Amino acid sequence: MKKTITCLLSAALLATTPVKADTLDNVVDRGELRCGVVLDFPPIGYRDASNNPAGFDVDYCKDLAKALEVEAKIIPVTWSERLPIIATGRADVVFGATSDSLARARTVGFSIPYAIYFAQGVVNTDVEINSFEDMRGKRVAAALGTVPEQEWLKIAKEWGEEDLYQSYQSENEVFLAVSQGKADIGITTNTAVKPITGQFKTLKEGPRMPWTADYTSIVGKRMDVTWLNYLNLFVTHQVRSGRYDELWGKYVGDNVPELRIPGVMY
Amino acid sequence: MFEYNFHWRPVLKSLPDLLQAGLLTLEVAVISMLIGITIGLCLALMRMKLNGPLKWFAVSWIEVARNTPVLFQLFFFGFGLGAAGINLPPYVIIVTGLSFNCAGYLAENFRGGFQAVPDTQMNAARCLGMNGWQTYTRIIIPQVFRIVYHPITNQMVWAVLMSSLGMMIGFRELSGETQFFASRTFRIFEYFAVTAVIYYVIVKLILGLSRLLSARLFRY
Repeated sequence: MKKTITCLLSAALLATTPVKADTLDNVVDRGELRCGVVLDFPPIGYRDASNNPAGFDVDYCKDLAKALEVEAKIIPVTWSERLPIIATGRADVVFGATSDSLARARTVGFSIPYAIYFAQGVVNTDVEINSFEDMRGKRVAAALGTVPEQEWLKIAKEWGEEDLYQSYQSENEVFLAVSQGKADIGITTNTAVKPITGQFKTLKEGPRMPWTADYTSIVGKRMDVTWLNYLNLFVTHQVRSGRYDELWGKYVGDNVPELRIPGVMY
Repeated sequence: MFEYNFHWRPVLKSLPDLLQAGLLTLEVAVISMLIGITIGLCLALMRMKLNGPLKWFAVSWIEVARNTPVLFQLFFFGFGLGAAGINLPPYVIIVTGLSFNCAGYLAENFRGGFQAVPDTQMNAARCLGMNGWQTYTRIIIPQVFRIVYHPITNQMVWAVLMSSLGMMIGFRELSGETQFFASRTFRIFEYFAVTAVIYYVIVKLILGLSRLLSARLFRY
């Protein structure tokens, strides 16, 4: 009898003793996954004709919510809000083409890469830029604080052309500046080139930039290792199930980039 | 819940760049104010003393400058003129936009200042044989400046703070530089905290200098 009571008491104690919950527990308990998504980045994140969030990242958020059996909540964020929304706990993850730089990884947690981009130019139709070398002496624009900006500034410094560089708050303003002739070429990602050149008659496809591919990851809290592990598993499942290919094909087109890096073991 | 460990070292490393950008902010604000004061004075006189198209030009300027957001005005000088094929560099856009805005606000301050100077001052100057130019430059305007000095100081502070909108049109002043560094490291809280302190120091310096200047200029 004594043993039974002790066992029951222990079980009751275990059931009521709070264990430190992580994001994974919180999301499951809440029944809602809050995703910060950059909607200024077609076709990866944008608003459709009915003004609803759409794109590759939006569907990835919905897939993650489905895997967790919870509801997905899309929170539109700007490029500069991607860290504060995680640090302040307003979102559980950020899908926002976030480059997994080692400098940023000292502040936030990254999953393994879930999408890869290449930097490419969009050029004003009145300007002749056919190769990367043609960019010498031209006015170049990019969005403030993005990887293309950082990479371009290294080259501009080498060429002594930092004065010709213009940075804008968002990619939309970069495209507007190039289409108006304020800048000759804007640097963006390969995925954005087609929808943007289709939208602006004064823009055409430009050359690919010479720097390496931009590996982007899902962002979570740096200290929340179990959550980051779950995100890694989610990324691998998306690839294994063919969903990655399907969504990339739907929003971007063929030539689905290989997420593996040869010679690297994850 | 806020879970974040503050790291100040990256910010301190880029402090010289931030201070340099702070100087640029100050430069833009001072130039915009000087242009704004000159135009504002003209607008106030045009509104008060003239009739016809020039008066309505002044009224329209003041109404638009005071009743639309500064960001809208900057976008107009940046992308609005750009659509018409007039492409200004970011430095010129921010100086033009801030000058336009300051001129509108200052014109109303000056109008109040002019109305506060008694008409008898004008009559007395004319009785002493001064012409219109002499009356205004030697008698009326010095008194107006004494009256509107503190509102001008306020406007100067406004110009410094509003210059932060420059980053929206590609101008790398203090806020733009901060965002540039913050997005490289994601140390956004630290960078913006330090930038807020730099803005605070700039504004306090302006207020201190204006107090010293007023003690020297306006003593009886």
